[in-house]
Amino acid sequence: MIRTPLRPLARILSAREQGENPDRIERDNIRARHDDMQGKARQRAEGRLLVLSVLFLAAFSAVGLRMGSISVSAPQEPRSGGGGDNILAQRADITDRNGHILATNIATYALYAHPQQMIDPVGAAARLVEIFPELDHEQILRQFTGERKFVWVRQKLSPEQRQAVHDIGEPGLLFGPREMRLYPNGALAAHVMGGASFGREGVNSAEVIGVAGVEQVFDETLRDPANNGEPLVLSLDMTVQAVAEEVLDGGMQLMSAKGAASVLMDIHTGEVISVVSLPDFDPNERPRPLTEGDQSDSPLFNRAVQGVYELGSTYKLFALAQAMDEGLINANTMIDTQGPMQWGRFKIRDFHDYGPQLTATDVLVKSSNIGTARVALMFGGERQRAFLASMGLTEPSPLEIVEASGSQPLLPPNWSELSTMTISYGHGISASPMHLAAAYAAMVNGGTRVTPTLLRQDSAQTGPRVISEQTSRIAVDMLRQVVTRGTASFGDVEGYEVGGKTGSADKPRPNGGYYDDKVISTFASVFPASDPQYVLIVTLDEPSIEGLGEMRRTAGWTAVPVAAEMTRRIAPLLGLRPQIETPALTAVTLSSN
Amino acid sequence: MSYLEYQIKHTPTGLRKVLYLNWPLIVLLSTICGVGFMMLYSVAGGSFSPWAEPQMKRFAMGMVAMFIVAMVPIWFWRNMAAVAYLVSLLLLVAVELFGEVGMGAQRWINLGFMRLQPSELMKITVILLIAAYYDWLDVRKVSHPFWVLVPVLLILLPVGLVLRQPDLGTAILLITGGGIVMFAAGVSLWYFAGVIGSVIGIVVAVFKSRGTDWQLLKNYQYGRIDTFLDPSRDPLGGGYHITQSKIALGSGGWTGRGYMQGTQSRLNFLPEKHTDFIFTTLAEEFGFIGGISLLGLYLLVLLFCLAAAFQNKDRFASLMTIGVAATFFLFFAVNMSMVMGLAPVVGVPLPLVSYGGSAMLVILVAFGFVQSAYIHRPR
Repeated sequence: MIRTPLRPLARILSAREQGENPDRIERDNIRARHDDMQGKARQRAEGRLLVLSVLFLAAFSAVGLRMGSISVSAPQEPRSGGGGDNILAQRADITDRNGHILATNIATYALYAHPQQMIDPVGAAARLVEIFPELDHEQILRQFTGERKFVWVRQKLSPEQRQAVHDIGEPGLLFGPREMRLYPNGALAAHVMGGASFGREGVNSAEVIGVAGVEQVFDETLRDPANNGEPLVLSLDMTVQAVAEEVLDGGMQLMSAKGAASVLMDIHTGEVISVVSLPDFDPNERPRPLTEGDQSDSPLFNRAVQGVYELGSTYKLFALAQAMDEGLINANTMIDTQGPMQWGRFKIRDFHDYGPQLTATDVLVKSSNIGTARVALMFGGERQRAFLASMGLTEPSPLEIVEASGSQPLLPPNWSELSTMTISYGHGISASPMHLAAAYAAMVNGGTRVTPTLLRQDSAQTGPRVISEQTSRIAVDMLRQVVTRGTASFGDVEGYEVGGKTGSADKPRPNGGYYDDKVISTFASVFPASDPQYVLIVTLDEPSIEGLGEMRRTAGWTAVPVAAEMTRRIAPLLGLRPQIETPALTAVTLSSN
Repeated sequence: MSYLEYQIKHTPTGLRKVLYLNWPLIVLLSTICGVGFMMLYSVAGGSFSPWAEPQMKRFAMGMVAMFIVAMVPIWFWRNMAAVAYLVSLLLLVAVELFGEVGMGAQRWINLGFMRLQPSELMKITVILLIAAYYDWLDVRKVSHPFWVLVPVLLILLPVGLVLRQPDLGTAILLITGGGIVMFAAGVSLWYFAGVIGSVIGIVVAVFKSRGTDWQLLKNYQYGRIDTFLDPSRDPLGGGYHITQSKIALGSGGWTGRGYMQGTQSRLNFLPEKHTDFIFTTLAEEFGFIGGISLLGLYLLVLLFCLAAAFQNKDRFASLMTIGVAATFFLFFAVNMSMVMGLAPVVGVPLPLVSYGGSAMLVILVAFGFVQSAYIHRPR
């Protein structure tokens, strides 16, 4: 067979002569060429095909291996960011000084929905509104039938509600477990607790964050995993707190007051044993702040700490103690009380006319404004200011609740001589009952400064000296006399030797001047006088009671009896022994039959 | 007269061709389809409607079409490759202009009796055309830059149209399928190395540029990539499909929960449970054993095709068979990786198992070409 060359005419002719068919030769040639071409292509293609096969096999093995690895892995629910697993739900308990629970956590469930997976969104919405009447039917319906993939329905469910939702049988309604903050005592110590709410929320857990009170101040400590859930121990005594709230509430209603506050403090340690502000609230359902009007009318307002008031005559003790401590007077020095005392166009008056002179003790016992003002002039404004500052009366209270930062006392813009005089009897300066408690504690504990605290302390504070021990002792004695023969005669409690000082200050009008029928009445007391242990401040806002035929507003008629009742009930709880004077035996009758 | 024809010394004629079919391949394909019916029946909660019954009808139609295609000599199909490609291209343009929108993407043309997806058609016609092109092209010119550029353009033209729909899965299949045929045809390895290198370069550039002023993608696009890399980042959003299917696969374990006992798919947790994600149902009900068996079936189909390609001395027939096998493999591989979280969710069905008429019809017709090549091979 001739293969090449292809078509020279000579070849064809010669082929014809030999009887061969040139067309066939051509066909053979084409075929041979293709064979050749294909051969080359094939060689290469076979190699490529092998490579491809190996790649395919590798891909198959990869898929097979992956399938195997997933099959042996335990089935897992989806978790992470959206699931909320990295949200730390832990929050330590809060207890009182004896370990009684004030705040703890309980497990509950939140309700959420996946509307896209709902079988019957309309029906589910209707049933949900039956279970939770406060839900807005139209809004829920809109959320369930809209484009959304995820809807929170409720943050907390009771077990009964959860069962009811379960019974709807809707697979698009789901429950997210979470811890919620519970205050088992309800409104007890509400202003100290403050409250907590959910922070970052995930499906599987939610952060509980403090929003007020100690919950907010100690938020990080409570949530710190390093503390191992160690409870936060407060200085409060739950029982005393409960009694104080009960008595104060009764007193507030009896006196038709619109608000009331009390502080009970250990004068040596600065521990706040009880602090009450009324009206109060339930931290489990913390109300919203007022949207209009005065925030100080809200139950959320802590009158004992945030409420800075002119505390009136209770300040007289400071002026007398300072003068005695500086050696300017002693308890028996005669003070000029001739009134009215004219200062420029301003007159200082007394409630009664006490005659031309009183002893220093009687200035306090009878509560003479004129006498105190004259004493204050002896040391002057600058030293007065320093003295008040040394007891913490010029700066916000350091108490460990977040609201304490709002307790900046109001001070006169320029500390003139007139200011010095009015401040000496508690006008033109304001402070919170908590301030007053700490200051009185310093006056009666031997004369060292006291920093109020809500945490249980193990030992007495050793603050800087404010007055000498000697002066402190005299101050206690003077306070005792105020009760035994002075303005606070209703304040005596048999067996507990109460000493104290009243204060009734006219309430300032919002736009200058003072009301003449609205007072803040305060009683600052200390007991027992023979060995002072506790300071009790009781403040009533706008009290009035009818006594001896007329409306009484002064502290002696309002705050003092409330404080006395409180002391009567609290003192035994504090472990104080009543000092009952047993009548001396005059005769012994021996009877013998 | 085609050169192929005179390689054929004897060709079966008439009905005798039926005896020369690649019967093992047909049995394998039917078995895979059978698995599909079973799963569709199960997914519907033990019912032939709404999925299993139409799927069976389409299977019957597809088998008939496959036999008809197989009976026609392969050289006829080779000559028709360019025409088929043009028709598919025109249909793609038509879908762009008059198509119906389904599931947020414009893919259908309503022909009255059925809804046609031209992109499905394109997957096969591209293979036919590229195979015919290399059959026509002189072997010595295969790696010449100009003659490489021609098929690249032929592939990229429909890819551009498909991406406009948008249908990323089909685009990937078109590029990879065409690329594999070019690779098998013997195009210089340097081209492939260059393409793969630049793809890696682009990927690196995209990630490196993130957060800088010149970042190449929009933030939400990075978000999608993040979700792919870690689906649990967004279990209720973009990662939902994958997380759920992983749960289904995991809960199947080695032997599965048993037929019709799957909960993930039954309780509506799984989206697209009857189409792209049908494998999860299978894996949950039949476990690892069931999954690996289906894998074996696909592997066998591939091996039979590769063997047929190896045996076939004709270049077009061989390349076309490889191309069809590669496309079939890619369907499978992309779907499986997607379901098992190895690749992002791009919307590629599991071939012959997932519910869907166009895809099944096209795959069976494609195997008709393979059968035709097998019957009419040079002997």
